[in-house]
Amino acid sequence: MDTFKNLIVILMSSVLVNNYVLSRFLGICPFLGVSKKLGQATGMGVSVIFVMLIATLVTWPIQHYVLDPMNLGYMQTIVFILVIAALVQFVEIVLKKFMPALHKSLGVYLPLITTNCAVLGVTINNITDGYNFVESIVSSLGCGLGFLLAMVLFAGVRSRLDESDVPECFKGLPVTLIAASFVSLAFFGFAGVVDNLFA
Amino acid sequence: MNKNVKNIVVLTSVCAVVALLLAVTNYITAPIIAKQQEAAANEALLVVMPGGEDFAAVDLSAYALPATVTEAYSEKNGGYVFKLTTAGYSSGMVIMCGVDASGKVTGATCLSSGETLGYEKTYGDTVVGATADSVDALDTVGGATKTTAAYRGAVKDALNAAIILGGGSVDIRSEEEILADNLTAALPAGDGKFTSVFITEELNDISAIYAADNCAGYVYVSGEHFVGVDKDGNVVSEVSEELRTKVSDAAKIMLASTTEDIDLSAYADMPSQVLSAKKTASGNYVFELRAAGFGINGSAYYNPSGEYIYIRVLATAAGKIIACETVSQKETDGVGSACANADFYTQFNGKEESNYKEIDAISGATVTTNGYKTAISKVFTAVKILEGEA
Amino acid sequence: MQKNSNASVLLRGLLLENPVFVLILGTCPTLATTTTVIGALSMGLAAMAVLICSNAVISLLRKVIPDGVRIPCYIVIIAGFVTMVQMFVQAFLPEIYELLGVYLALITVNCIILGRAEMFASKNTVGKSVLDGVGMGLGFTLALLAMATVREVLGSGSFAGIALPFFSTHTISFFVKAPGGMLVYGVMIAIVTKLTHGKAPKKKSFACAGCPSAAMCNASACETSAVKEDN
Repeated sequence: MDTFKNLIVILMSSVLVNNYVLSRFLGICPFLGVSKKLGQATGMGVSVIFVMLIATLVTWPIQHYVLDPMNLGYMQTIVFILVIAALVQFVEIVLKKFMPALHKSLGVYLPLITTNCAVLGVTINNITDGYNFVESIVSSLGCGLGFLLAMVLFAGVRSRLDESDVPECFKGLPVTLIAASFVSLAFFGFAGVVDNLFA
Repeated sequence: MNKNVKNIVVLTSVCAVVALLLAVTNYITAPIIAKQQEAAANEALLVVMPGGEDFAAVDLSAYALPATVTEAYSEKNGGYVFKLTTAGYSSGMVIMCGVDASGKVTGATCLSSGETLGYEKTYGDTVVGATADSVDALDTVGGATKTTAAYRGAVKDALNAAIILGGGSVDIRSEEEILADNLTAALPAGDGKFTSVFITEELNDISAIYAADNCAGYVYVSGEHFVGVDKDGNVVSEVSEELRTKVSDAAKIMLASTTEDIDLSAYADMPSQVLSAKKTASGNYVFELRAAGFGINGSAYYNPSGEYIYIRVLATAAGKIIACETVSQKETDGVGSACANADFYTQFNGKEESNYKEIDAISGATVTTNGYKTAISKVFTAVKILEGEA
Repeated sequence: MQKNSNASVLLRGLLLENPVFVLILGTCPTLATTTTVIGALSMGLAAMAVLICSNAVISLLRKVIPDGVRIPCYIVIIAGFVTMVQMFVQAFLPEIYELLGVYLALITVNCIILGRAEMFASKNTVGKSVLDGVGMGLGFTLALLAMATVREVLGSGSFAGIALPFFSTHTISFFVKAPGGMLVYGVMIAIVTKLTHGKAPKKKSFACAGCPSAAMCNASACETSAVKEDN
C-alpha cells in the first residue's frame, strides 16, 4: 500500500508540481514551437510520453546493469543520448512498417524528440533521484503526462493570443513567453497539493 | 555498400576516440572528485570534531543505543560523531555531537530546529568538554529550560552511545522508565501503576508521593530513595532506620492531616479565581482555583471550549507555594493542554509573589500561560486576606 | 546575407545573431540557470567551452565525416566534451556543479551547440569555427548574464550573491521562480527585437535550419507552425 502511495505521489508531483515544462524548463523548445494548434500539441505530447517511457525502459537497466558495474558512470550522458537517438530511429522504422496509421500521426514528431532535453533530462533525473525501476517508469509517465497537459493547455491559450492586439516588438515569441509565464504561475497553485495528498 | 562501411567505420572510430578521451579525463578527475565528495561529507562531522580523520558510518542495528541517536560515525582515533533527533520544546532539534576517545564532548551543533528562542544555536559551546558524568550538572538557560535541557539530554545520549559503542554498558532508560521501575521496586503490590499525589502538608525531605492505582499503598520519594508504604502507613521497603522513621512520620502526618474548610463568603475581597480554601493542620492553605486560559479568553475564531483550567495549590501562611498542580483543563489539544504537564506546573513550586512570573511559558500558548499566572497571583492575594494582612 | 570576415563572425553572435534573444536557441538553460548571476555565468562559460571545442573538432573532421552519420557523430563529439566539462567542474568547482545540476549534462542537447555545428562548423574552416564558437558563446553568456542580473536583483535583492541596498529589503521572489523567468525572457526578446529592428536576419531562415533535428526531420512539423508564427 505504501509503495502504491509512493508511486501516486511520484506521479502527481511530476505531473503537477515539478511539471517539466512549466517549472523545470525542460522541453521548452517544442513547447513553444509546436503548441500552436491543439492537434499538433496533442500529437507531440503523446509522442513525448511514448519516447520517455521507452527511453526509461532502456536507460535504467543500462545504468544499473552495465555502466555502474563497469564503473563507467561518466559515460552516462553520451550513452543515454545515443541510446535514445537510436531507439527513436528504430521505433520510427518499426512504426512505419507495421503501424502506418500510428506512424502518420506520431511519426513526424519522433525525430524532433531525439534531442529534446526533457527526454534526456527525465532519464538522468530518474538515476540521480535514486528511483527503482518501477518508480522510474512512473516518474517518466508523469513527466510525459505533465508535458502533454502543459502543451494542450497552452495550445488553448495561444489560440486566443492570435486574436489579440500586441505591440509590434512583442509579436511572436515574446508575448508567447509572457503567456507561458502566466500558465506557469497557475501551476504554482499545485505546490502544496502532493505533500498533503495522503495527509 | 562501400559508403555504409565508411559510415560505420567513422562513427565507430569517433565513438572510440571520444570514449578514450573520457576515460583519460576520468582518470585525472576521479580521485579529485572522490576527495571533494569525502571532504563535503566530512565537513559537518569536522565541525563537531575538529581534526577528525577517516570517518566511517557505524551500523546502528548492531547496538542498543538511545533512541535519539539516528546516525553514528566512528573516527580514526577512537572518537565518534552522533546525529541525534530530540524533542526539544516545540518541533524538535537535529543535533550533531562529537565525542572523543576519552568520552569528552568535542563539539555539538544544532543542524535544524523548530525552536523559536535561538538558544539552541549557542548552547552547543556550553557542552564542549562534558563527560557522561558531568553533563547533567551543566546549567540550562533560564527562559529556555526545556530547549536546553533537551539539548543536554541529547548530548548525554551521545556520550552514553559512545560508551556503548566502546564496549561499555550504560543505563539508557528514559526518565519515565526509570521512575516506573523505581516505583515498582519500592512497592511491588502496586502492580506498576502509580499516580502522583498532591502533598497537602509541608513534609520534611519528601519530594513526591505516588499512590498505587490499585490502592495497595504509597511510595514516598526522599532524595534518591523510593520507599514503599502500605495503606495503613507502615513502611514496607527495606531501608535504613533513619529513613524509615522519616517516611513513617511523613506518612502519619499525611494520614492524620485534617483540613478545615474555610467559608470564603466571609471574605468579601476574595478574588473570584479562588473557588475553595482549606487550612491544614500545620497551618498551610490548600486552594482550588480556576484560571481563564484559552478555553475562556481564546479568540472566537478557534472556538474555545468555554472551560476554565482548574488548579490546586498548597501554600504556606507566609505566601510561598509548596506545590501546584493542574486538576483539569480543556485547552487546545497539543498547545495549551501542556498546562496539564508536570513539567509546566511544577515550575511554580517554591515560588513566591516576587518571582512567580519567572517560569518558562508554554510555547504557542500565551493566553493559557497568562491566565495560569493570573490565577497563581491570586494565591498570594488570598493568603494575605486569610492571614488578615490585606 | 552574412559576410564571413573574421570580425563579423565573432561579433554577430553578440547581438544581431544573439543565440538566445534572436535565434531563440537554448531556451532551457536560459530559463533554468538564470536565477543567480553566478549560475548564469558558469552555465554560459561551460557552454562556451563546449561550443568552442566541438566547433573546432567538427570543423576539423568536416571532410572526414560522411553525411549519413553526420548528426550521430556530432552528438557523440558534443556529449563527449560536455562530459569532460562536467567532470572538470565536478572536480575543481564542486559548488558550481551542485548549482547547475542536471542542466550541465543537458548542454549536450542545447540546440545552440548542435545548431552551430550543423549551421556553421560543418561548412567553415577551423579558425572561423572557433571564432564562431567564441562569438556565440559570448553572446550566450552575456544574454544569460543580462537575464540573471534582472532576475537576481529583483528576485533576491543581490548581485552575484552580494546583497544590494534597497533591493534586498524589497525582494520580489516571483522573478526567481519559473514564471518570472519566462516573463523576463519574453520582455528581453521584445527589447532586443526593438533594438535590432530591421537589422536582424529574418527568423524564418532559422526556424528549421537552426533546429538541430532538421536533418532528421523529413516532415516539417514545426516549420508550419513556427514560421507562420514568427511572421
